[in-house]
Amino acid sequence: MAAPVVETHGLGKTFGLHPVLREIEFRLLPGRGAAVIGGNGAGKSTLLSILAGLSAPSEGQALVFGIDSRRLGPRYRRRIGMISHRSYLYPNLTARENLEFYASLYGVADAPTQIDTWLARVGLEASADERVRAFSRGMEQRLAAARAMIADPMLLLLDEPFSSLDTDGQALMSRLVVAALARGAAVVATAHAVPEIENAELDLYEIVRGRMFPLKEKEREEVRHGRLRTLLGR
Amino acid sequence: MARKLVTSLGVLSLILVITALYMVFEYVPTEADEGIVQRIFYFHVPCAWIAFMAFGLVAVAGIFYLWLGGQIWDDLGHAAAETGMLFCTLMLVSGSLWARPMWGTWWTWDSRLTSTFILWLLYGGYLMLRVMIEDSRQVARFAAVIGIVAALDVPVIILSVRLWRTIHPAVLVTRQGGHGLQDPRMVATLLVSLTAITVTFAWLFLVRFAELRMGTRLAALARGIALAEVRSGDI
Amino acid sequence: MAAFTAILRKDLRLEMRSGQSTIALIALALLVLVVLVFALDPAVARGPQTAAGALWVALVFSGMLGATRALTAESENGCIRGLLLSPADRAGLYAAKLAAAFIFMMIAEGAAVVMMVLFFNLEFDTALMRVAPVIALGALGFASIATLLAAITGRSRASDLMLPLLAVPMYVPALIAGVRASTAALSGLPFSAARDWIEILVAFNVLFVSAGYLLFEHVITEE
Repeated sequence: MAAPVVETHGLGKTFGLHPVLREIEFRLLPGRGAAVIGGNGAGKSTLLSILAGLSAPSEGQALVFGIDSRRLGPRYRRRIGMISHRSYLYPNLTARENLEFYASLYGVADAPTQIDTWLARVGLEASADERVRAFSRGMEQRLAAARAMIADPMLLLLDEPFSSLDTDGQALMSRLVVAALARGAAVVATAHAVPEIENAELDLYEIVRGRMFPLKEKEREEVRHGRLRTLLGR
Repeated sequence: MARKLVTSLGVLSLILVITALYMVFEYVPTEADEGIVQRIFYFHVPCAWIAFMAFGLVAVAGIFYLWLGGQIWDDLGHAAAETGMLFCTLMLVSGSLWARPMWGTWWTWDSRLTSTFILWLLYGGYLMLRVMIEDSRQVARFAAVIGIVAALDVPVIILSVRLWRTIHPAVLVTRQGGHGLQDPRMVATLLVSLTAITVTFAWLFLVRFAELRMGTRLAALARGIALAEVRSGDI
Repeated sequence: MAAFTAILRKDLRLEMRSGQSTIALIALALLVLVVLVFALDPAVARGPQTAAGALWVALVFSGMLGATRALTAESENGCIRGLLLSPADRAGLYAAKLAAAFIFMMIAEGAAVVMMVLFFNLEFDTALMRVAPVIALGALGFASIATLLAAITGRSRASDLMLPLLAVPMYVPALIAGVRASTAALSGLPFSAARDWIEILVAFNVLFVSAGYLLFEHVITEE
């Protein structure tokens, strides 16, 4: 069996007096996707921050590619891609220039070709040389997806990736996630409700009061049909 | 046990201060050139030494904090900064009180006063920063970095100010180094005074440090309670 | 190293597009010099000594405004997180931000030197060649403090007060040495006359650039 891409042991995070995450035990193998749902302030973004090595746990440990998330070196950071609420894009640079910058930071080989490929993949070839300042929210989100995936990351962290995307955009994002899973990457996506991703089996989890619970098959169906936590009795 | 230590230090400090006061006012002879006012020297100089030493403490605590982690190092640095600031202020005020009758002005830019004044600004910046950082998780880290960088800068400050002063003679009086203490009674008084002020510093520092540690422990307790409450709310 | 070049190039490209930082620096330097011209008695205040002093006042004040922009620009769209997420090492990030701040400051100081010659009755002669390295050392020193401090004060309340409050006392040695060395240079003296001062400037730079390089990672992280 392959080594897990992500593994947490008793992971906890407390902000001041507020325990946002507690006793999270979680494993994710390569080629698997996990969807983590929860309400606002449930701790979804915090979990992703910790997995990305941006934030340190208050208790327990998160291992990414087998390395403690607090000690991720350049070699491993190169393999992580993240999409967040904020785009991490420079408004005064063009789409192409933004990708050029990130490609050079991540050491992407044959960058010009890769950039063209990805611009086409996210449907932004026509706007490649326009400044991001002029982009709509949806376009920015697409470019952010390209930014996150241009280095072919083996761990994708997506924070509510479907928000502010139209139907086409959501379909695109689903395709990108499926493609990433197909090449063996692991994906952790957060959302308010279970994301509909065709052709992909996602492990479902829910964060309730800081703890993360896997959702079983029956519960998945019920959640999908909109009957949430009250039914689950948690 | 710790409280006994602090209390006995307080008592020792009181005894030493009274002894020092006696020596400064009764025992030591009046200095030939400067007269009675010169007695401020026995207070002023030890305060300066303490002010600089305390800042070194702040920096060392900062290094340990960054290296080992642990809130105790930050509490140490914090206490050292507050106490050191007090003695730095006392040095400057006593310097001013000395300057006025001696040279007719409330302030002189001689090299020691100037360097200590810059140190005072650094203390002030450090303490203000602690108050101004909104994210309490970051305060300790930032304070440690500021403390270290500022302390590394202090020798450069002293050197540059000393060089600066040597090219502006006469109008502003420069006190030559060493203070030529001829009479052995003067040396003795200075040593006693230094000890008294050092012990007083240590006492005040420990009092403040204990306060901060209590605060840290209370915060940890509160966090534990909050965590337990959330846990017990589960089914 | 790759991160350093990529980030610096990106910052220079952005600056060439908007010119915000350099224009702000030049404008403030000019304004400070104008204020000093009127504030100082014209009968007394012309010549190398005053000119050097004025130039350094302009350097410090324009630096306080502009030297941190290279770093604070990363707060748009959360870009700083994108950088922290990436393989780029924190020390390389510091070096890139320092280099950008230094370049912007040098451009502004170049303009300030020209204005200084005009306002304070100096000559456009070889003395300016001798002043240039002194100014460069001063600008580098200031940029190194400002870049490190900006990462801290950017997260504090009253950040526009906290930066000068911390930076100015720390900068005093460079200020003292810089003005003295500049005065000597503008008075036509050779470098040997100002050797002590230049040594202080160099020591100052070594201290702060290394400190910044080593400590930056501690101040730029999230929690």
